Amino acid sequence: MIALSKQAGVMPSPFDAEQQRRFDEGFEKAVAKYPPDRRRSALLAVLHLAQDELGWLPEPAMAYVGFRLDVPPVRVREVVTFYTMYRLHPVGRHHIGVCNSVSCWAMGSESILRHCEERLGIRPGQVTKDGQFSLEEVACLASCGTAPAALHNNFTYVENVTPESVDALIARLRTEPGQTMAPGPHPRHLEDKHAIEKQSQPQATGTVGQAAATTVPTDKR
Amino acid sequence: MAERVKILSGDWDKPESWSLATYKASGGWQALPKALKMQPQQIVDQVVKSNLRGRGGAGFPTGMKWNFVRKETSFPKYLVVNADEGEPGTFKDRAILEKSPHMFVEGLVIGCYALDCHLTYVYCRGEFRKAAAARLQQAIDEAYAQGYLGKNIFGSGFDLDMQVVIGAGAYICGEETALLESLEGRKGYPRLKPPFPANAGGGLFKQPTAVNNVETLANLPAIVEKGGDWFANVGVPKNGGTRLYAVSGHVNVPGVHEAPMGTTFRVLLDEYCGGMRGNKKLKAIIPGGSSSAVMTAEEVDWPSDFDTLKAKKTMAGSGGVVYLDEDTNMAFALANVMRFYAHESCGQCTPCREGTAWLSRLLDKICAGRGEKLDVDNVHQIARQMEMKTICALADGAAMPAKSYIEKFRGDFDALVRG
Repeated sequence: MIALSKQAGVMPSPFDAEQQRRFDEGFEKAVAKYPPDRRRSALLAVLHLAQDELGWLPEPAMAYVGFRLDVPPVRVREVVTFYTMYRLHPVGRHHIGVCNSVSCWAMGSESILRHCEERLGIRPGQVTKDGQFSLEEVACLASCGTAPAALHNNFTYVENVTPESVDALIARLRTEPGQTMAPGPHPRHLEDKHAIEKQSQPQATGTVGQAAATTVPTDKR
Repeated sequence: MAERVKILSGDWDKPESWSLATYKASGGWQALPKALKMQPQQIVDQVVKSNLRGRGGAGFPTGMKWNFVRKETSFPKYLVVNADEGEPGTFKDRAILEKSPHMFVEGLVIGCYALDCHLTYVYCRGEFRKAAAARLQQAIDEAYAQGYLGKNIFGSGFDLDMQVVIGAGAYICGEETALLESLEGRKGYPRLKPPFPANAGGGLFKQPTAVNNVETLANLPAIVEKGGDWFANVGVPKNGGTRLYAVSGHVNVPGVHEAPMGTTFRVLLDEYCGGMRGNKKLKAIIPGGSSSAVMTAEEVDWPSDFDTLKAKKTMAGSGGVVYLDEDTNMAFALANVMRFYAHESCGQCTPCREGTAWLSRLLDKICAGRGEKLDVDNVHQIARQMEMKTICALADGAAMPAKSYIEKFRGDFDALVRG
């Protein structure tokens, strides 16, 4: 594995000059956090850096990251497919994650998700035709006291969400450029890495601020 | 009402509570020079006396864990902080990192000195990168500038470097050995134990490692300043100090409330959270994150300390308390909880990988009105068969709610199924 870089010779970079400069700067910092003989440990951080520049992790980016850290391609792929924040496909320039965990659910996150779906015309895992928005269900964000919660572009919290605040957010985001997104195949359904076959969506709680429904849902979509 | 003891959240209402100036104005960064004049073992002894229990979920006595690490003769040793807060219902570590990061950093420096550790990592979950982790990094930078971190801290000859590392979205990385794997740049598969992280061969880079929760370490400055005995007296026997209860659900005042260890769920609800929202009746309590066994409204007077709840076959867990009102259908709640575990099972052990997905499918079927009575029985039985059969506790954390929801709220399930 030590000879990996030598065998591979020169690996073409997926970045342009400006991206490369930012990536290299971050790369040095990320590697410096670990003892010199443990630089491979920085893999997660370096993948974040690559995704910051490209919006997702195309094959050449994964290869390049592996090359820079002397990590075998299979281990890079293993990590990228294991962690949910790394993307194997382009998402929208504004990627919205709606929390579906228990506290948010109790406070009506299902109606928030449905509202997002209606406003954007997409289901979780899809990207709008213009590539501007994508939607995803995410797990507990540690924002349970300010439920329901959502996440914009992986790192920005949106809390105490209501249908009205969703509308305001979407209207605001339409005027903003959002994250860089390298071109790539826009699948109609993005890969949900750990998707389990859902026979139906449990829908027990009502809308935000209202009582939960206790009956069996008739809406099976 | 007696004056509330606030060890951790005293500054939170102040403007810019996260700043160095605010923390110093309320007596911050004074425990460290005191600690550096003590012998490391004396600090650990105070922690043992304080009955400080790990606030991440398992409630392991911190002093005992530190003594394990101190006994090891292999160097370097590491202290790794678990800031991968992801248990549904839990948001108190994020509050500490965002509102009083300096208190946590000071506690961590004291902890590292006590363990003879010169390089420490704080593993934050990926979603914290631009908020909580950024604020922590700012506090660390300030601490370096003040000479509280780096070389020869306060002229004691003690050196320490502190690094913040970011995860990438995996609940399992809150499990300590999965966290270490992730910190080493791999997928988060929990490690088989023994060797335990505290022992040589089991920790970070195979070195002896203490893995502690953010809240646990934030208590250190108070323990050093006021002594272990004082801290122990705040709580109940064997459970020292206060706890940050992260309360969510159908209450009037959700949020992080600091209360003494062992506060009952009724006091927490009525005195801290302003009662149930809309005067609804309480139906169920999730006492310590979604992995803990659920409690009924009749059990609201149970004290919330680790030992009592363990004896009652549930757990104090991460301190994430969710109060659910009478309109909540517990079958749907369990289906939601189980979707989470099915999604987050890392896939290493078969009983967990298959079991959680199976339970989730069965519960979705029940909630869609296509279930039979046998399905409910099957959920209970599968859950029992998942327990104690896997490398880490995720399967147990999924089985506990599955069993308890059915045992305590069977009516909600039976109303949905045929036969």
